[in-house]
Amino acid sequence: MSKTSVVQIQNLLKQFPVGGDFFTALKDINLELEKAEFTGLVGPSGSGKTTLLNIIGGLDSPTEGNVDVLGMNLGSASHNERAALRRTQMGFIFQSYNLLPVYSVFENVELPLILNKVEPQERKQLVTQAVEWVGISDKIDSRPAMLSGGECQRTAIARAIVHQPALILADEPTANLDAENSHHIMKIMVRLNKELSTSFIFATHDEKIMDYLRRIIHLDDGQIANDEQIDQPKFDE
Amino acid sequence: MLFKIAIKNLLGARLRTWLNVFVTAISFFMIIFVSAMYDGMREHAMQVSIDTEIAGGAYWHPKYDPMNPMTFEDAHSVPPVAVQALVDHEKAVPVLVSQASIYPNGRIMPVIMKGISPEQTIVNMPTQKLVTIDETAIPVMIGTGMAKDAKLEVGDSFTIRWLDADRTYDADEGTVVHIMETENFKLDMGHIWIPLEKAQTMLAMEEEATYVTFAKDVSPIDENGDWIPRDVKYLIRDMEALIEADEPNAAIMYIILLALAAMGIFNAQVLSIFRRGKEIGTLMALGMTRSRVVGLFTLEGGLNAFLAVIMTVVLFGPVLWYFGAYGINMGIDYSEGQMGLIMAKRLIPVYSIGLVLTTTIIVSIIVLIVSYLPSRSIAKMRPTDALRGKVTL
Repeated sequence: MSKTSVVQIQNLLKQFPVGGDFFTALKDINLELEKAEFTGLVGPSGSGKTTLLNIIGGLDSPTEGNVDVLGMNLGSASHNERAALRRTQMGFIFQSYNLLPVYSVFENVELPLILNKVEPQERKQLVTQAVEWVGISDKIDSRPAMLSGGECQRTAIARAIVHQPALILADEPTANLDAENSHHIMKIMVRLNKELSTSFIFATHDEKIMDYLRRIIHLDDGQIANDEQIDQPKFDE
Repeated sequence: MLFKIAIKNLLGARLRTWLNVFVTAISFFMIIFVSAMYDGMREHAMQVSIDTEIAGGAYWHPKYDPMNPMTFEDAHSVPPVAVQALVDHEKAVPVLVSQASIYPNGRIMPVIMKGISPEQTIVNMPTQKLVTIDETAIPVMIGTGMAKDAKLEVGDSFTIRWLDADRTYDADEGTVVHIMETENFKLDMGHIWIPLEKAQTMLAMEEEATYVTFAKDVSPIDENGDWIPRDVKYLIRDMEALIEADEPNAAIMYIILLALAAMGIFNAQVLSIFRRGKEIGTLMALGMTRSRVVGLFTLEGGLNAFLAVIMTVVLFGPVLWYFGAYGINMGIDYSEGQMGLIMAKRLIPVYSIGLVLTTTIIVSIIVLIVSYLPSRSIAKMRPTDALRGKVTL
């Protein structure tokens, strides 16, 4: 694994038990992602992109193969070690936002910092900064139920970046958003990627996202069908 | 950290939290209230018994057995000198007991006839009502239960038949001079009370008594001859046995209420875990370990119990205080003694520190256990399943 390598996957196989048999979700996956990459895992439903994202995030385990993420071998890491890696160095953005409904925007964004035992004063400062980044400072005391889809996703992004992780994993982040909101969200993420050198991996089949990606990994039937570098994305601010 | 998140979750869930807390608080209230009622009932029974019947204890004639009326014939003699001295100093009251039959309204009723000094102040009975100027009939005092049973009213006369010391049947007319209201059915049902001197004359047992009840502040004496000293502990043993026999009922009631509280909390926890599957997955994705998520949900259950204690104090405290101060009208005809225990017309629950502490500790432990049990399944949950809201318990 090179010094700038964030993710390194070798001969990954992932199977799920179905009845008395196994369903192969991923096979022969070999992949290396460098720091500050803006990568998309693209493919139709059932192609294995979310499964791959979950394995990279340590939420799921490979059946076979080697997966190194941010210097940790996930195959041999315990549940707690993987949780610590996610807590300190990763951020997650979900299609349905997964905001805690009983928390305000501030409290949702603050949560990763509480988990990382950051002091209250510093927490307040970091949350304010993250919320400003995504442009929802005026909604800081609102609950998710009072926000639009775009505002919810911005809150989710703020929560993912607030502890300044090295890697952000986004699963269909624009699937529930209209075109205008999708563009806003993607612009924010491009800016974060450039200014903070945060690596992004998207699992998506949304065409709108593709115009922002600098690397597109096409998955088909659980295998990498194509790995494409985009030198000049359509939207690259 | 967990505490802070648990507090946020509880306060954030607003109505859901308060409903859970309210249900737990009701359980707390019911457990404390019902247990206090039981304790109040027992304490009241004990108190009434001591006040109206036992006082500081008694000296019994050696042949006296209150459970066996056949012994009454022989259970009489002049009390020992030291015991009589207590009587003379108005620190004790002698009672002469015998079997008798009464014939109210043409019916025959076996009764226990007790002669007691009308001037006594040792036991709380309205014996002064037995003082009459009419010498023609035997003044009789009965309880309301007996009056109802025998269909007697004040002023009614009836024949009393008894066996005197010479084992000869004799009879005379008795007149009801007073119907006493007493919560102690043992003084009421099947009893007639007459003046001691009259009883001694009727039974040809001058100066004699069956037992002597002494005042609460009297120290036991050694010169009691062959009479048997009976202390309060002995005299309330029947009641204690009754209470002891009743303890399983109280325990069952306690367990049922506790089980209801536990089921309520368990149900709330299970529902909470089902509803919050995605939240559990999100917390795991954000880096919370499984054991911490289990800890969080258990802590939320524990805090639920803590808030319930506060709500019980704030919301139900005044209710408990009101009943503790003014009691509850039982609406039971105590006089028939159907409960097998002295029942108060107005029962006052007794909230002992022991009861409140025990209940709080037991309920808190149960709450923690029933909060932990469903939460334990989170430890087996796959984060990816939880994120999809796929929760199996």
